[in-house]
Amino acid sequence: MSALALAALALRARRRRVLALLAFAAVFLAAALTARLLVSRGEGGHVQMDRLFEVGGYPLVSALLLLGWILGRYPLVATLVMLAGVASHDRLEGYARLYAVRPTSPHRIYAARAALLSAAAFAISAALLPVFDLIMLGTWAGPATFVLILAYIIVYGGMVALLSVWTRGDAWIALLLALLSLVWDALRRADALAIPPGVRDVITFVLPPQAAFLELEGAFGALQPIPWDAFAYVAGYGAVLWLLAAASLGRREV
Amino acid sequence: MAGYVPGGNVIQFSGVSKRFGAPGGPARVDALADVSLEIPAGGVWGFVGPNGAGKTTLFALLLGFIHPTAGTVRIRGLGPRHYVRRHGAAYLPERFRLPGEWRVRTALRALARLEGLTRAAAARRVDGLIERMGLAAYADREVRTLSRGLNQRLGLAQALLAERELVVLDEPTEGLDPLWRVRFRAIVAELRDAGRTVLVASHDLAEVERLASRVVLLEAGRLRRVIETDAPPDGTGATYRLELAVPVPELAEVFPGAEPIEGDAPAAYRVAAADAAELSRRLAALLEAGAVVASVQPLLEPLEARVRRELGSEADA
Repeated sequence: MSALALAALALRARRRRVLALLAFAAVFLAAALTARLLVSRGEGGHVQMDRLFEVGGYPLVSALLLLGWILGRYPLVATLVMLAGVASHDRLEGYARLYAVRPTSPHRIYAARAALLSAAAFAISAALLPVFDLIMLGTWAGPATFVLILAYIIVYGGMVALLSVWTRGDAWIALLLALLSLVWDALRRADALAIPPGVRDVITFVLPPQAAFLELEGAFGALQPIPWDAFAYVAGYGAVLWLLAAASLGRREV
Repeated sequence: MAGYVPGGNVIQFSGVSKRFGAPGGPARVDALADVSLEIPAGGVWGFVGPNGAGKTTLFALLLGFIHPTAGTVRIRGLGPRHYVRRHGAAYLPERFRLPGEWRVRTALRALARLEGLTRAAAARRVDGLIERMGLAAYADREVRTLSRGLNQRLGLAQALLAERELVVLDEPTEGLDPLWRVRFRAIVAELRDAGRTVLVASHDLAEVERLASRVVLLEAGRLRRVIETDAPPDGTGATYRLELAVPVPELAEVFPGAEPIEGDAPAAYRVAAADAAELSRRLAALLEAGAVVASVQPLLEPLEARVRRELGSEADA
């Protein structure tokens, strides 16, 4: 495929980002190993929280819980880091014009690039999450891990791609929307949104599908069966974003 | 070049305008206003004008990077994006650059693959261009380590990765040393002789005059004039260098205003005639008077002088 060589160069240009993600992953693994060394394996084969509490009190337990919470969102971080500027950087630097005069469709160019960068985000996440599970839980969540990673890549990869076609700062905007959807979903669950139900539903529908993500994270964290209906919703939401990105790419000035 | 048909008009701008910025906003700019222009197949056309004249915008519209606010652009009857997707175009941007961490050979090969070349063909083409552009010693270096002139040669190399009918070069000699300017002219001559349509924008009027047979003068987004570099200025008649092997006193009667050209041959004169027919009549009268003509050559006004006259005091074209 003619666009793959260019995509490989884009991946090479992001090698520092890959290193940064690996370093970030190493923090999780170091924390998991520390927890494992501090307390012995419990009856279930996993690190016992009450033993950790005895060793380090609330701060240690809180830190580990926070770490676990962030770990569940590592695929989100990896996706944003790898795909940031996937199209906007070329436009900003003028490279897009050099590609636009070749008889290769921009869709092929950017599809190859997005696929390769998404694959890298998937690979890094897929290497970290099971290892963390093995250290902390003595087992791993099985395919639910990969389904969770895939869900984040489909949704936030599509979101960054769409934003990147139209504006700079794509990954930052996507991160803002991710955080907004977290807060929104928490308020919605607590029934703390003082707005008409119709407006609330529309906003919930438009924002990233945090409720579905929570179900997927729950399956990953609690070793439950994969909620395929939640995955289907997430995949549909993400597919719309990717389609919008593709439709925009052909119209956008460079 | 699938679908290439020699002859005819390749490029048509019809009443093309381009505005940038939000309506009513402070950044609203009329980059081009009502430009109509037809460019036939083959040959070299120059585009000159002061900064902000609209040269780069015109090229961006031509290659489909941006869409016109009004009017239409057609290349061989197709919309620019449609044409470029189907046939491709050779393009050197005004400020060419590639990602600094890419290596010269690898970058060119990746771009050659986008031209539709197979891996083997891309490797052959790139190796040949690297040699031709004097980049062999830098082929495995990162782009960021190249000097300005080397980077410009890399820019030319990437523009020539495939043989395209349409060649668009924006400030191509910027940063090139005199030797490479000469080589660049040879490359353009080759493209012209191969029947390509070459468009060159530059502030270097002497360079444009050497390269182009037609020069489009733009000012403040408007097309001021299309100048034929190998023809006398419109409406001023033609001036010729007339050298006589045997001078005659009747010269002043036949060619009123004839004057010797200082520092030239002893019997070389600057003479004027409105057109070729008048020149022939006057020469016949001169021969009848007993003169022997050694040579007659048109004296062309340099492009720079013509552009200065068109633009008045704004002469930084």
